[in-house]
Amino acid sequence: MDGNLEISLDKLPVKRLDAIEENGAERYPPDSSYDEKRVSLIRRIDFAWAVEDDEERERKKKQKKSSKDASATWQWQSMVENLQLAHQELSVIIDLINTVEANDAVTVAGLTRPKPLPNEVLSDLAVSAATKLQCYRQLGKYFKQSSNSFEEQIAREARFYGALIRLQQNWKVKRQRVAAASSSNEGFTIDLFDNSLYDSAAMCRPSSLSTIRVEHDSAGMLAINLPPNSCRSLHFGFLGVHSSDIPKDLSKIRTHDSVEQRTRESEKESKSDDDYVKETHTLLREVHQSIFDDQVFEMLNREAFKQSVGVNVTGIRENYLQLSIGQGNTLFISLVPSNKGDNQDSADTQNLESAIVPLQSFDTEKKWGFPNRTSCEIYLQQIVHENAFVNEKDKPNLSSTQASGQSGKDEPGLLGHFCLSLAHRIFSNRVLMELENVVCRVPYLHLMTHPTWHSRTSSWTIFMKVPQSILHAESQSLKSDFQNLKDAIKSQFRTKVVVNDDRINVEGEGAPNVVGLFKRSSENTCSVNKYECDLADLPVIILLQVASQVICWLHEEALTVGIKTNRDFLCLTFELEQGETVSLVAHVNPEDIKGGISWWLVMEDGFAEDWKLQMDMHDGASEYRKFLGHLTLDVLYSSLMDLVSLCGGGRNH
Amino acid sequence: MNKGTGVGTGPTAAAAAAATQKQKSMMQRVETDIANIVDNFTQLVNVARVNEPPVRNSQETFMMEMRAARMVQAADSLLKLVSELKQTAIFSGFASLNDHVEQRTNEFNQQAEKTDRMLARIGEEAAASLKELECHYYSSAQRTADTE
Repeated sequence: MDGNLEISLDKLPVKRLDAIEENGAERYPPDSSYDEKRVSLIRRIDFAWAVEDDEERERKKKQKKSSKDASATWQWQSMVENLQLAHQELSVIIDLINTVEANDAVTVAGLTRPKPLPNEVLSDLAVSAATKLQCYRQLGKYFKQSSNSFEEQIAREARFYGALIRLQQNWKVKRQRVAAASSSNEGFTIDLFDNSLYDSAAMCRPSSLSTIRVEHDSAGMLAINLPPNSCRSLHFGFLGVHSSDIPKDLSKIRTHDSVEQRTRESEKESKSDDDYVKETHTLLREVHQSIFDDQVFEMLNREAFKQSVGVNVTGIRENYLQLSIGQGNTLFISLVPSNKGDNQDSADTQNLESAIVPLQSFDTEKKWGFPNRTSCEIYLQQIVHENAFVNEKDKPNLSSTQASGQSGKDEPGLLGHFCLSLAHRIFSNRVLMELENVVCRVPYLHLMTHPTWHSRTSSWTIFMKVPQSILHAESQSLKSDFQNLKDAIKSQFRTKVVVNDDRINVEGEGAPNVVGLFKRSSENTCSVNKYECDLADLPVIILLQVASQVICWLHEEALTVGIKTNRDFLCLTFELEQGETVSLVAHVNPEDIKGGISWWLVMEDGFAEDWKLQMDMHDGASEYRKFLGHLTLDVLYSSLMDLVSLCGGGRNH
Repeated sequence: MNKGTGVGTGPTAAAAAAATQKQKSMMQRVETDIANIVDNFTQLVNVARVNEPPVRNSQETFMMEMRAARMVQAADSLLKLVSELKQTAIFSGFASLNDHVEQRTNEFNQQAEKTDRMLARIGEEAAASLKELECHYYSSAQRTADTE
């Protein structure tokens, strides 16, 4: 700077009144902000001196140059000056830009772009198009990814809901609206509780298994996860009989298990959805059966606490009930977990049963006449189901039983009926064995079984077919049927054996009717008699009955040929001349292996009152006995005919 | 949908009205979602025009991403609607469910009866066979005594 100093004057920084309004309000100029103040200061910078300085320098240079070379550099002088001016302007602008960049209170007010050249336009377009294309490609990938995941989700849902719908066709599916639904569970449950109980007041407690949650497994398919050993099954057995085959049976019957289910998930790709749904159905059915077994056991427990006919509890433990059914037989009913843990099961059941040497179960059953264990289980479940789970109007008639809990003291409840049935079954097997023994030894007896279709009654008939009378063989063909019926001699004698619970009733023809004997009528000399007996006495009774039937038949035959004979219980007496008697006597011995009935021929001298005195003499002269042996009916008949001819020498037909 | 026929045939008028209302709301949701998808897609396509300087590119990119996300969201919402409908079909198709249950009940009853008849027949046949066999056995000459 040189020379004159220029001074500018500012206004005092005092607020000066701008205006006063009519209402007296004063208006001041607005305060300028800090930025505005700076801007105004900068604007006031006068660059004229710089420009003037530059211009003076240039002039001086020009004067110098012109003094040096006035004519030669004249045409370039203006260009040089222009360049210098441009340089100055540029330096100013650059300073401004630097200030702007430093954010130093100067901003760009406007900017005019220079018009772009064509190649610039095209390259800009190309860049935009490329960027946009890139964007769209990325969008495309995004959409594809989303669609893939949606498809997977749809497929998973389709599998899930398809399986659920198929399950719903057989099971009750319920939905709980879970507010904060986790991703793996939408609140579906399957309700397995059976509320069709007849006596619903008795069993209203649903088991913990009766509501099963439906969950998603790792592949999105529905899965049912049960805790292990949650399914229990009813197990029945006779104490001391079946000790070796329990765990195996259980493991064969119930093979499904939640752990197995989970391990099978890894093989699921090889299994179709159909198979999977079927397996789930099976699993649910097992749980359902387990619930039913639980209910059966609870009902039996409840019955066991009541005093009723046929129920004799000898042991109670958790999930175990032991009952005595008479004649030294004991049965047990227990609830055992129906799947894994075979070792545990066998240990438990070994503990439960008494320490008896394990026998071959099959032969043991046959030997002792025990019914099949599985059939007993089924029977038990069936009678509980029929009586407790069926509507009243549909209830079938269980003769001699009533519904549980309602019966009086002399009527057995369900458990009582079951125990009595089993006791009867065992007892009737023994009766059958005895009857078979008897029948096998006597060749002219036939045994016929009559199924009674009643669980506490059994019935058999022992037939004795006698050979037809020769005399009547021809005449019967001529007479009418009615005559035949009336006059025909019996060709069959029957003895009926009926077992009710543990009482044996024997009913048969053969014993002489005392009244008939007095009247000496040929009709109704053989009557039907009934009596009860024990198992030990049964063979003897049967043999006695049969022997008396044979005697009866022989008596009839003798009467037919016109010979009068006296019939005692087991003895048929013919009168010979001079008071001598010949008797055919039956001897019954159930222990006799060759045959139960043997025959003796006894001849006696007339005077009946004397024979007692002569009893002491074994082979006395007035009594003669001959053992005939075990005779068939034909031989007996011919013997009779011989005796008839012997004593009918002077008599006519 | 079953619900379409629910008006007037439902158990109560209130339930029928609720069903209609629910149907309306579902249709509304469907409309909204589909309109959403269509609208966003239109905007996406519109933005495809390339005539602006690069400064707007990032803005457009962001907008495109946003619209794409909205489309996907609308599609997801539609899918959820579909699974809700499936659930409703499972649990509210009472007519078909009842029919099916009755049908199954009848099937099972018939099966039970058939099994009972079969058991009775088996029993009768077994009794007849037993009678015949006993007759033959005790008439035969080869009866052996039971060895004990």
